[in-house]
Amino acid sequence: MNQPLIDLQHISKSYDGTMVLDDLSLTVKENSFVTLLGPSGCGKTTTLRIIGGFESPDSGKVIFDGADITSLPPNKRSLNTVFQKYALFTHMTIAENIAFGLKIKNKTKAYIDGKIKYALKLVNLDGYEHRSVESLSGGQQQRIAIARAIVNEPRLLLLDEPLGALDLKLRQDMQYELIRLKNELGITFIYVTHDQEEALTMSDTIVVMNQGYIQQMGSPENIYNEPENAFVADFIGDSNIVPGIMLRDELVEIFGAKFTCVDKGFGTNRPVDVVIRPEDIDLVEPGHGTLSGIVTHLIFKGVHYEMEVTTPDGYEWLVHSTDLFPVGRQVDIHVDPFDIQIMNKPASEDEEAIGVNE
Amino acid sequence: MMKHTQKSLKQFVSNFYLVLILIFLYAPIMTMMVLSFNTSKSRTQWGGFTLSWYSQMLSDPKIVSALYNTLLIAFISALAACIIGTAAAIAIDSMKPVSRTIVLGITNIPMLNADIVTGISLMLAFIAFGISLGFKTILISHITFNIPYVILSVMPKLKQTSKSTYEAALDLGASPVYAFFKVVFPDIMPGVLSGFLLAFTMSLDDFIITHFTRGAGINTLSTLIYSQVRRGIQPSMYALSSVIFLTVLILLLITNYKPGEKEPVPGMAPSNPSGSSSSGSKGSLAERIQKGAMAIAAVAIVISVGWITIKKYSVSSSNELYVYNWGEYIDEEVISMFEEETGIHVTYDMFETNEEMYPVIEAGAVMYDVVCPSDYMIQKMMENDLLAEIDFNNIPNIDQINPIYMEMSKSFDPQNKYSVPYCWGTVGILYNTKRLNELGVSVPESWNDLWDPALSGEILMQDSVRDAFMVALKGLHYSMNTTELSQLQEAKQRLIDQKPLVQAYVIDQVRDKMIGGEAAVGVIYSGEMLYIQEEVENLGLDYQLEYIIPKEGTNLWLDSWVIPSNAANKENAEKWINFLCRPEIALRNFEYITYPTPNQGAFELLEPELQENKAIFPDINNLENSEVYRYLGDEDDAIYNALWKEVKSR
Repeated sequence: MNQPLIDLQHISKSYDGTMVLDDLSLTVKENSFVTLLGPSGCGKTTTLRIIGGFESPDSGKVIFDGADITSLPPNKRSLNTVFQKYALFTHMTIAENIAFGLKIKNKTKAYIDGKIKYALKLVNLDGYEHRSVESLSGGQQQRIAIARAIVNEPRLLLLDEPLGALDLKLRQDMQYELIRLKNELGITFIYVTHDQEEALTMSDTIVVMNQGYIQQMGSPENIYNEPENAFVADFIGDSNIVPGIMLRDELVEIFGAKFTCVDKGFGTNRPVDVVIRPEDIDLVEPGHGTLSGIVTHLIFKGVHYEMEVTTPDGYEWLVHSTDLFPVGRQVDIHVDPFDIQIMNKPASEDEEAIGVNE
Repeated sequence: MMKHTQKSLKQFVSNFYLVLILIFLYAPIMTMMVLSFNTSKSRTQWGGFTLSWYSQMLSDPKIVSALYNTLLIAFISALAACIIGTAAAIAIDSMKPVSRTIVLGITNIPMLNADIVTGISLMLAFIAFGISLGFKTILISHITFNIPYVILSVMPKLKQTSKSTYEAALDLGASPVYAFFKVVFPDIMPGVLSGFLLAFTMSLDDFIITHFTRGAGINTLSTLIYSQVRRGIQPSMYALSSVIFLTVLILLLITNYKPGEKEPVPGMAPSNPSGSSSSGSKGSLAERIQKGAMAIAAVAIVISVGWITIKKYSVSSSNELYVYNWGEYIDEEVISMFEEETGIHVTYDMFETNEEMYPVIEAGAVMYDVVCPSDYMIQKMMENDLLAEIDFNNIPNIDQINPIYMEMSKSFDPQNKYSVPYCWGTVGILYNTKRLNELGVSVPESWNDLWDPALSGEILMQDSVRDAFMVALKGLHYSMNTTELSQLQEAKQRLIDQKPLVQAYVIDQVRDKMIGGEAAVGVIYSGEMLYIQEEVENLGLDYQLEYIIPKEGTNLWLDSWVIPSNAANKENAEKWINFLCRPEIALRNFEYITYPTPNQGAFELLEPELQENKAIFPDINNLENSEVYRYLGDEDDAIYNALWKEVKSR
């Protein structure tokens, strides 16, 4: 699109000798919805806090709209944050909370009142001006926290696991709310979460992080369907990750069976990791598939059945299917070529550690 | 069944504890409160209900000024401790766990440390850094020991407060200072407030630290009460103590009262979208009022402190006199008369024991110009070069002092160069005529009559080493200043023999126990005879209390004016001594103190009836066997103490 709004250049940060971010670089384009996704301790929140100005990096630069803001204090940055635990001012009313930033900017009373009304309408809480913070539910409080941030018309909104404390239903509702808000306001969102479903639902771009490194960056579809390494594959959705040998282009051997795939350029007879999503495995009658096994486990999950199929080599395949195969049934496994994702084995022990550590 | 017994046991234990608290904590306080309404000064006799001690308390300028000092110091020190303590708590809270624990531990030292250690070390520090003791040193000390209390009550609040609200405020464009006052402070306000009240209470309560760090002419309520203990606590002090107790109790109740969840302000229902602007301004009005009140309070403090400082320093002209005397040991009128006549400004301070006065003079913490110690202490001060020779040319009224007393002074001031007698007295036996009659015991004449088995359980002895040994040594016809070990061993044995007969070893209570008719005989200082006789008459008791000096002689004590060698206003001190030697002034003081005066001129002005009261003015010529206590030196003091310990531990 256009020039990047945020440009993180070679950011490193450590606490008490523990490396949290290691030479991290990231650009975020104007008007995008970027999600930093990863397990706790992966450095995603630290990245957000560095952008917000609450932490300063040990090295590297934070460029905002072309200007270096690395050492600018948070109150001088034209961005706002929505905190994980709402961080509302409990001794103030809702209206006072929302007006907090505007009063500091010396806006007129009429302007402020207008903004409060507008913001409350935006988050579907009209008429809540004079309620106390404690009288609101968690979801309402979070919406007020968002209203308090957006009335300042920031160019960038940072959201630090804002839905983490809400229950499932509310979380789903709020996800749609956030997407709507983002579209109505046209501001850039950087969103931090450890919930892969949330990330897949809302983002334009997902940045998967682990142990201070960016593992993969791309669109939700890209991340889900073509994980670049075992960590990403494992972290995003359920996966069968099995060792295989790339016999040649478009042919991979798994547990002695040959599968046709679409991947090329791995050379010949090369050990690789193979990722197959559980919903991409078709169970067929014996003799019709590539690999034989026995159903050893069955759970009804609502939209589908979750089954485990054990093949003679002892691997338990996770399979999602709407067709029922009872436990003890002999089945064959079939996978379409484009559903097989081939990945390089981790090159070094370090990389391996990153992968296994989830 | 099991449960039931357990429950009733719990019930019993908690009730038992309650009763213990009531008995041990509150019974004494209740006693004091009851006595504060007692018409009689006696501690054992109820003379009817009165509020006069309370009105006397309020009309006493000493008490009012001490009250003012106490409240001002409590308020300012609590406020300062709040500011420093809150800042410290915030800093400590943001530290790493290990350093936080260490710093918190160090900060708590003033609270855990023995007050006396804190007090003495503060005093030494002030002296070492050349800070003269006074209002400001008490204030600094109180701030010092108040800070931990504030930190302790703010810390938990800070822990509860989420850090993200502060960050949220910064994020919304607030400067760190604005964010603190707008967002963090309201959250920790309850902690700061309870810290303030706690600090205020502690400051109000403190005696020991104040005692060591106060300077000339400044008293808080606690030091004032203490300085008045010597002549028996006045009932107005009971009244004052009752008031202090109630104040502290109320403050503690307020501190411990935790307001529940804040009620939502009425009229804030969500179905009121139109009223937005009006109640919005309401909030800021309340804010403005709050701010205004705080500003006024701050201005008031600054003005009052400034005023006190100006008052203190504007009068510190060259014409100054710093007097250090026993509590209740002068008619206050006399001080104003002296000031009026000479134009000298007098700063008047009180002490309660010689031992307490000595280190103050020795350390030079406060430079007093004229002090009134007792005989043996004068000798000790002389031996340690703490006294200046008095220029008797400046004291023409010295000829009013009966030469007998100058002669007596020679036992500790051999050349009459350092001291001028002020008050004197004897130690003797007080006896209850009726009680002796009932027991069939004749009136005592000798110290040895206190070994009469017929008086078993009827004897009150002085609970102090020198006075107790005096009784035994005099009974054995030895000197009461003896350092011969064999004589002392003998006296010790006598005291051990006497012990089964003794009802109690007491000091102050001899007077009250005798008035209450609890014992037949008691060893007592003569000074309070006039008061005792008046009280017996007032209460309409059916027995008489008489005083006798045993034939073997007794302890003659003498309190005299001396001038410390570091006195800055020696001439004024001599003017003061000369003024007090004036017969009509000495008479005034006698009427107030009621201790015998060595002033011949004053004696001659007395009514003949008083002159002949042998309880007050024993025939000085019959006191030939009597002695004045001498300072024995540290080694012999230790021997006396060791022997006395043996007696007491039997």
